[in-house]
Amino acid sequence: MTIAAILIIGGLIFLSGSALIAFYWAAGDGQFRDLKRGAEVIFDEDEPIGRITDRFPAKRKA
Amino acid sequence: MTSLAKSLNPKNDPNAGTERFERAEIDASARIPVLVFFGSAIFWLLIGSLLALIAAFKMNIPGLLDSEAWLTFGRVRPAHLNTVIYGWSSAAGIGVGLWLMARLCRVPMMHTSLLIVAGVFWNLGVLVGTLGILAGDSRSIEWLEFPGYATPILFIAYAFIGIWGVIMFRYRKPGHVYVSQWYLLAAFLWFPWLYGTVNMLLIWQPIQGSAQGAVNWWYAHNVLGLWFTPIGLASAYYMIPKVIGRPVHSYYLSILGFWSLALFYSWNGMHHLIGGPFPAWMISASVVASIMMFIPVITVAINHHMTMRGNFEALKWSPTLRFTVFGAMTYTLVSFQGSLMAIPSLNTLTHFTHYTIGHSHLGLYGFFTMMMFGAMYYIVPRLVGWEWPSASLIRWHFWLAAIGITLMVAALTIGGIIQGFALYDPAVSFTNSTLFASPFLWVRGVSGILLTVAHVVFAVNFVMMLARAGGPRDEPTLFAPHAPDKEVAAV
Amino acid sequence: MNRLPLLFFGIFITFASAWAGLVAYPYLNLGRMLPITDEASGDILPPPISGLADAGQRVYAANGCVYCHSQQVRPAYLSTDIAKGLGGRRTVARDYIRSKPAFLGTMRTGPDLTNVGLRYAADWQHRHLYEPGVVTKGSIMPSFRYLYRMQKIQGQPSANAVQGLQGPHAPPPGFEVVPTQQAVELVAYLLSLKRDYPLPEAPQEEVP
Repeated sequence: MTIAAILIIGGLIFLSGSALIAFYWAAGDGQFRDLKRGAEVIFDEDEPIGRITDRFPAKRKA
Repeated sequence: MTSLAKSLNPKNDPNAGTERFERAEIDASARIPVLVFFGSAIFWLLIGSLLALIAAFKMNIPGLLDSEAWLTFGRVRPAHLNTVIYGWSSAAGIGVGLWLMARLCRVPMMHTSLLIVAGVFWNLGVLVGTLGILAGDSRSIEWLEFPGYATPILFIAYAFIGIWGVIMFRYRKPGHVYVSQWYLLAAFLWFPWLYGTVNMLLIWQPIQGSAQGAVNWWYAHNVLGLWFTPIGLASAYYMIPKVIGRPVHSYYLSILGFWSLALFYSWNGMHHLIGGPFPAWMISASVVASIMMFIPVITVAINHHMTMRGNFEALKWSPTLRFTVFGAMTYTLVSFQGSLMAIPSLNTLTHFTHYTIGHSHLGLYGFFTMMMFGAMYYIVPRLVGWEWPSASLIRWHFWLAAIGITLMVAALTIGGIIQGFALYDPAVSFTNSTLFASPFLWVRGVSGILLTVAHVVFAVNFVMMLARAGGPRDEPTLFAPHAPDKEVAAV
Repeated sequence: MNRLPLLFFGIFITFASAWAGLVAYPYLNLGRMLPITDEASGDILPPPISGLADAGQRVYAANGCVYCHSQQVRPAYLSTDIAKGLGGRRTVARDYIRSKPAFLGTMRTGPDLTNVGLRYAADWQHRHLYEPGVVTKGSIMPSFRYLYRMQKIQGQPSANAVQGLQGPHAPPPGFEVVPTQQAVELVAYLLSLKRDYPLPEAPQEEVP
């Protein structure tokens, strides 16, 4: 078996296998439960929902 | 500082996952690696833009710079392609991805030395590869022109980043894995494998000519769909909600979008070779997969639009949002266009023409590059603790880039269609097909000048930022301790 | 989420199938294709190419000819390639067995070159590579005169000097333009580009 054939079959197993493992893990870890809370995970007390976090720089002091 | 070996299992580290880290601490830990990648990316953006201008104007003025071998169109064009793909786009994507990973893992960046080494290797790889192309060692395999002595350098750099991604993920604070992180992990893990495989099959132990086309375009299209697209979407899914202060409209849809992208995208590659010397079923499967892409693309479009709905006013105050929303809308447009281009009856007309180039620039510039600009405008101030020195430079950057890319795509699209009709008609001579497209190529060249100026403007602002140029502000903006005057409805 | 195992299986199959179809299959099937022997004439098809032409492929790759020129003839039901005279039949995988790499190309800023060996002889190719704009009016192809050497004529003109050059870079009296080894290899490669032999999987097509 040439190295290329090993790579192809190996790659096949890696690509599909990694996706499969990821999916199983995610389901088992509860990643697909409470999606509303999942969407809010990027906010916290300092940068809560409702606060804008980016603006053009203000004018400089004269 | 945990050792690399210990890092692979957080159970070995008594401190893992327990502390609540300040966001500023996380940003500070990311400073050097991310700035290394951003600085490199901007450098290669300037080089790539210059090479683009040379190549573009050569099509209108064949005698331009034609006496030296290293400046011939057939070398400058792939040099442009590779510097903007691996030099600008990938480096910017890595920088943005690294910062997003740190933020989403909610722990300070670890093993930053690994990333800095990766950055050095990667710059070296791009430099050696680009010089190799100009010297005449190009492989002439599209998207993979770097000679065999440069590609392993890039591969090592990418492999480091993949390893780092796994380690960071294991050390993250437990809890929900945000959708952006899914996209990033997919990109970081799949790309080294993609790159390694294609190098093996086309460069180190080349397979026979008859099979190379399929593998070539499987690679090139997968770089778009499994490397650039996920990084771009990861950024959009973080930046849009974060800037306007509203969570993603339908988180369920975002998950659906991710997995359907991964499912359908990898079959698309053969649509570059419709009519080519491959079995009909391979081409047909690609066409089907290309149409199926409507599903993840519409999912993303709905999500972003519904999240932004009622908040489009924010485009007035936020540089990040302008670039990001431009990129997100372009993503939808270019993906629809791509799906349609795969339909054989349309493909007959557009294949081999400038239309395809218009499409590729719409995707890599209109979507990915603009998305990266938006992310960089958000990230850099948080890394260096300083405002962007010039608001007007940001505005110039945005408008030059937006107008430039619109003009470029319009010119190449119309010119390409006219060229396509001429190529299709047996009664029209070949020379006329190039003649009819010529005025549109002039417009393309001019639009390239606009884009290059935009990049210089951005580079100037970035350098001034690093040098802490610009004095104190009139009023606090970015680092306001209180909310700004306009609050956004939380619903 | 009770249907998860079924969903996973479906995902696995789809991932694996893309890989199988676009990478494994080309390698295992197309990648190990062999030339065939024509029953009538005993010729090996596609015919082997000379060492000079083989070296010419490297020159073609080094100078990026593929970015303007394609090398594939699409079938009549999908295009007008054959009606336009690009070839008598479509090209198939077996045609590219000896290509390193297969310069299929994705742009036709310049004409398709699949059968360019049938259209032009060596002296035309040299003149054209040296100064395309003079040989073909309105051409936007750049000059490849860096693959040639201008030298003073020593006694007799060289046997392989390029004849009939005109235009701004034509040799002044007493000088001649001689191809370098790279130009010789490149032209040998271009002359080898002909797919006028029949293959069982690709019969000659009727021009509509």
